[in-house]
This record gives sequence, C-alpha cells and structure tokens, in this order.
Amino acid sequence: MSSSTLGGKTVAIFVVVLIVVAVAAGVGGYYAGHGAGYDEGVKVGGAEAYQKGYDEGYSKGFAEGVESVKPVLPKKIKIGSLMCLTGFLGPMGEKIVKGVELAVKEINAKGGIAGRPVELIVEDTATDPTKTLEAFKKLVEVDGCQVVIGPMASPEVMAIGEYANERKVVVISPTATSPEITTRFPDDYVFRTVGSDVLQGKALGEIALDRGFTKVATLVLNNPYGIGIEEKAKEVLGDKVILSVRYDPAKMDFRTELSQIKDSGADCVIYVGWYEDGRVMFKQALEMGLDNIQWIVAEGCYGKPMFKVPESAEFMSRAAIGTRPIAPVGLVTYDLFAEKFKKEFDEDPTMYCDTAYDATMLAALAIAHAGEYNGTKIKNSLEYVSQFYIGATGHKMFDENGDQLTQFYEIWDVVKEDGEYKFVGIGTWPK
Amino acid sequence: MINWAQVLFNSAVTGSLYLLAAVGLTLTYGLTRFPNFAHAEFMAFGAYAGYAIAEQLKLGFQYSIFAAFLASAIMGAASYLLVFRPLTKRGATIIHLMVASIGLGFFVRHSIQEIWGGSPLTFRITWGYFDVGPIRMTSIWIIMICSALIMALIMHFILTKTMMGKAIRASANNPDLAMASGVNVEKVALVVWMIGAALAGVGGLFRAADTRLVPLIGWEILLPAFAVVILGGIGSFYGALIAAYTLGLAENLGVILLITLNLSTDYRFAIAFIILILTLIFRPQGFGKLFGEAG
Repeated sequence: MSSSTLGGKTVAIFVVVLIVVAVAAGVGGYYAGHGAGYDEGVKVGGAEAYQKGYDEGYSKGFAEGVESVKPVLPKKIKIGSLMCLTGFLGPMGEKIVKGVELAVKEINAKGGIAGRPVELIVEDTATDPTKTLEAFKKLVEVDGCQVVIGPMASPEVMAIGEYANERKVVVISPTATSPEITTRFPDDYVFRTVGSDVLQGKALGEIALDRGFTKVATLVLNNPYGIGIEEKAKEVLGDKVILSVRYDPAKMDFRTELSQIKDSGADCVIYVGWYEDGRVMFKQALEMGLDNIQWIVAEGCYGKPMFKVPESAEFMSRAAIGTRPIAPVGLVTYDLFAEKFKKEFDEDPTMYCDTAYDATMLAALAIAHAGEYNGTKIKNSLEYVSQFYIGATGHKMFDENGDQLTQFYEIWDVVKEDGEYKFVGIGTWPK
Repeated sequence: MINWAQVLFNSAVTGSLYLLAAVGLTLTYGLTRFPNFAHAEFMAFGAYAGYAIAEQLKLGFQYSIFAAFLASAIMGAASYLLVFRPLTKRGATIIHLMVASIGLGFFVRHSIQEIWGGSPLTFRITWGYFDVGPIRMTSIWIIMICSALIMALIMHFILTKTMMGKAIRASANNPDLAMASGVNVEKVALVVWMIGAALAGVGGLFRAADTRLVPLIGWEILLPAFAVVILGGIGSFYGALIAAYTLGLAENLGVILLITLNLSTDYRFAIAFIILILTLIFRPQGFGKLFGEAG
C-alpha cells in the first residue's frame, strides 16, 4: 500500500511539473510573441515555445513516472468510448470520435501512460439511450474499463449516470450540455468538457442586458435544454423578463404564442429551439411581423440547415443573433490541436472534436496522477489535474459537480451577401 | 393588452385545419362504423403529392391543391375497395378494421418515407403578409380559412340538395333500411371514402405549406381530429363543423391561459381532452343531435 501511495505522490509531482512547465513555457512564448508586436509572431512564437515546453516537461515527468508506478498500473490501460456512430447524431459522432483517436495516438506515441500503452475501445450508441446503457455495461463488465469518453447526447448520459456511480466508473462527455445532468448527478462520476447550458443561459441574458433591452420575452423548448437556459437567463435579467413561453416543438402552429409576445410589447426575445421547430418558428415570426425586435438565439439553431426555409433565413438575417460554444479565439493550444488533427485525418476538426480530444487527454492525465487503474482514484485525480490542464479548448477546470467552470461562446450574426445567407462571428462571451 | 381579434383569427386558422382533417373521419365513421387511423396517412399522402407537384415539378401551389385532392381521393377509394370492404364482407369487427387501418397507415407512411425520405421538406413559397385592421394575416392562412368554409358550403349543398347526399344520410342512419329502399350502400360508402380522404389530403397539404412536411404530419393533427369527431357527435358533419372551430378557439385560448399560468403549451391537448371528457359525461351525443342528425 505504502509503495502505491508513494507512487501516486511521485506521479502527482510528475504531472504538476509537466503541466506547470508546459503552461509556463506556452504562456511565456505567447507573451514573447506579443512583445514582438505582430500576430504571426504571437502564433508561431507562442506555438513553438508551448510545444517545446510541453515536450520537455513531458519527457522529464514521464521518466520519473515510469520509475515509480511500475507495480501498480496494468500492462495495458483501457479507455472506453461511447459515441453516436449511427442514428440521429451519427454524422456528428463519426467526426468527434477522431478527436478521441488523435489524443490516444499522441499519448501512445510518447510512450503511453508511464510506459503502459493505452488501448481505446469504441462502442456505438446508435443515438439511443437504451443501447448506450447496453454498450456501457459491455465496456464496464466485459472490458473492465474504469474510464469512458462519452456518451454524446444528454439523454444518453442520463441513461448511464446511475450505473456509472454504482460501478464507480468515470464518465467524461465531450458534448452533453443539459443542466439536468448537473442536478441529477451532482458531485459524482459524471464529468463533461463542454460547458453546461447554465453558462449559455447566462451568456444570452448578459448579451440582452449589454444591448440595453429592458422588456425581454423568453421563448424556449419545453425540455431540460430549453428550461435550463430559460431559468438561468431569468436569473440574470430579473424583472426585465416580462413574458415566458415554454412551447411544444411538435405543435408547429405557433401563431398565438407569437401573438402573445407581440402584444406584450417586448423589445427582445431570448429563443431556444432546434432546427425543425426553429425554422417554422422563425417563418411564422416573420409572418407575424416580429422581425422588428431583437432575437437572441441559443446554439440549437446555429447551422446551415436553418437556411433551408427561405423565410427562416430571411428572418435570421433581419432579427437574430446568438451564441454557440467555442474554444477561446486565438488560443495557441487550439491551433496546435487543429494542425495535428489536419495532419492526421486530412480534414479540419468540426464542432466538439476539440472537447473530445481534451476529455481523452484529461482521462490519461488523471490515470497517470492516480497511479492506479481504479475509478474512484481516477475520479479524484481528474478533479485535481483539471486545475492545471490547458487543452485545445482552453482551461478545462471542473467545478464541484464535474462541470466546466468556464466556457467561451461566440456571438454570431446572420448576414446576407449576394443572395447567400451565412453565419459570422461578431464577438465573444465573456468579452 | 391581448389582441383578441388576432386570437380569434388564429383560432379560425386552427379550426379550419381541424375541420378539413375531421370531416372525412366523421363521415366514414358514420358509414363504416370504425375509427380509421390511416386517415393520418391520407393527410400525409395528399401533402406529399402536393409537394411533388409544387416543388418537384414546379407547377405552382394552385395545382398542388388539386393534386392533393386527387391523390388522397384515389388512396381513400383504394383503401376502401382493397382493404376495408373485403374485410367487412368477411365479417370483420370494429377491432379488426381498426387494427387493419393502423397497419395500412404503417404501410403508407413507410412507403412515403421510401420515396421522399424521412427528413423535413419545405415548400419554398413565400406567403405575402399584411395587416387588416389589428389582424396580421398571410395569404396561406386566408386560403386555409376560405377553403374550409367553401368545402363546408359544398358539403352542405350535397347533403341537403342532392340524391347522393340523401343516400349518404340514409345509409348512415340505417343501412338496412337504406338498402331496402334501393340505395346502393357500397357505392355511397365509396364516394364518402373518396371525399373524406380528399379533404384530408388538402388539409395535410395546408399544414405542410404552413409549417413543414414530414411523414408523421397526419399524426400531429389526428388526435385533435378525433376530438372534433367525438365533440361533434360521431358521423355528424354539422357537429364536426361547430366542434372544429370550438376546439380551435379552445386551443388558442388555452395557449394564452397556459402562458399566463407559466405552463408549457404541451398541455393544450389537456384542454382539448377536458372538453372531450366533459362532453362524454354530459352530452355523449356531441353537437350532432342539435341538427336532428343521426348520432
């Protein structure tokens, strides 16, 4: 026992050394580049210095780690992953899994975790909570995984959360944003590397405040996603919210809901919807003449599919701005990640490849820090190492619920150029 | 301040859609005595046929109304001739017929999905919008209301002034007596199935043009359509007419009430069903008997 405790401590030092050196070098290089005075300098100088410091810190800590943990870690370290490779989110999952693969490949190229190679086991969830639970049980019971990257959708995370807690297996979702995950599974084995929509609700509320709106109506999907954002936005806006509407997405006849907003005299609408109902909502909002007030829209309606309905596209270009989670702009670590991703897969990373990469890296760091392949130890280490890790999407510190302490959002707008509609970034939150 | 004129107008749009959807359902129920769940697919099929004409062949929306009417009429006739009449002749009960209609609906819905795919389709027609007094209108909403009212007038004329109408009413009232009096009950049933399906197809098309088109589009309004049928009195055309607009109004008032109470508009169905339950308790014959029709 004592040797394992000693091993754990040594590994802890190794990780701290690794990260502090890496971060210090990276940040130093960043400011060195800044001092030189031009953007290209910042990028090249910063990236080079960061990578150099990272590599040096890694090999030093690695050597120490190998020395101390030999008796405790298994010969092969398994990391499980639950991804929507088929079903509704299949097209998205095929891309996101590459973020996980890239991280594992990188870790193994550097000698694995304390000399033990990482074995990645990916299971398809088919975007189905029931199948997710089956696949999760397979990973836990058959493969003996103590840490799993995924699953992607919030209902899938909800489906396995209880089982994960019971079997003490760490789950890190790179994509599930529902605030209900926090309330259902606080302080436990469920983590995520994307911000909860509690933060997006705050962002939407503050953007409305910032722009001086005093009569705000909220119009949200009646599900955990919509209600989570609505409640947080209301907290920020207080009595400036004059009307709240929770709608049924299947109804599609939204005229009276929209009439109510019109009659309330609101000067701004905070809106949370998905593609299918969002397009109809915007079409009917245009028809009802609600394009003369500002709409501030959550990330569920960010994306080209919104433009498939001409009125929806026109409405968005006239009246809508919104938010979506992104890595902080100009982040050196993101550029490095994107470069490596492109080199490996010959394509640019898409939304959430970066958070999947970070989730995997955090898992590996936590295993290294724990010095033992044990869910409870990995969980405690995960909370600890997250304080020091700066990943592709920036600082990844967890709060006491396993949620991200910070999340950056892009503020987007829709513009019409030569008859084509497109999304453009007009700012970030926090500023 | 609530703009009541707008609320009434919105209710008229909702009610018109429910009327088009429910007329066929109530009349076929009156004649063949079972709830036809494939009615939802009559709506969907009409809408997709209209989509093919308006968007894929780019022939204009006016033609797509005819296409929806015709396509669904043919489907209604085929359903009656190939599925429900043979079953009835073999002594099928209401349960057999109901299950058969669910099966038929599955078949049609999945065929639609094979042809047009399952993802939402959109009519790329921009409807002009304008204010009339305090009311905001678009051309499609006015088309919906006018079509429903014109259809109601024509149906009224057919039912009261033509031989066919008398035969329909007689067959619904007492099929044996009608047959004894020389009415070809099967032919009457065929005509009713065609008309009912055709109107449902037009209703489906309007819903699709107003929102978007998915294979399940009929199921989204089948529940309120059944509510209209029961509220109006099963088999009663005039009852359905009043019930459709009553339900449209109740639903839109319900939305206002729910928003005021800070509840989700998901619960609007609860309002429809409270009305329905109260009807079944206090006036199980619905509005039908008000007009001296058969229940």
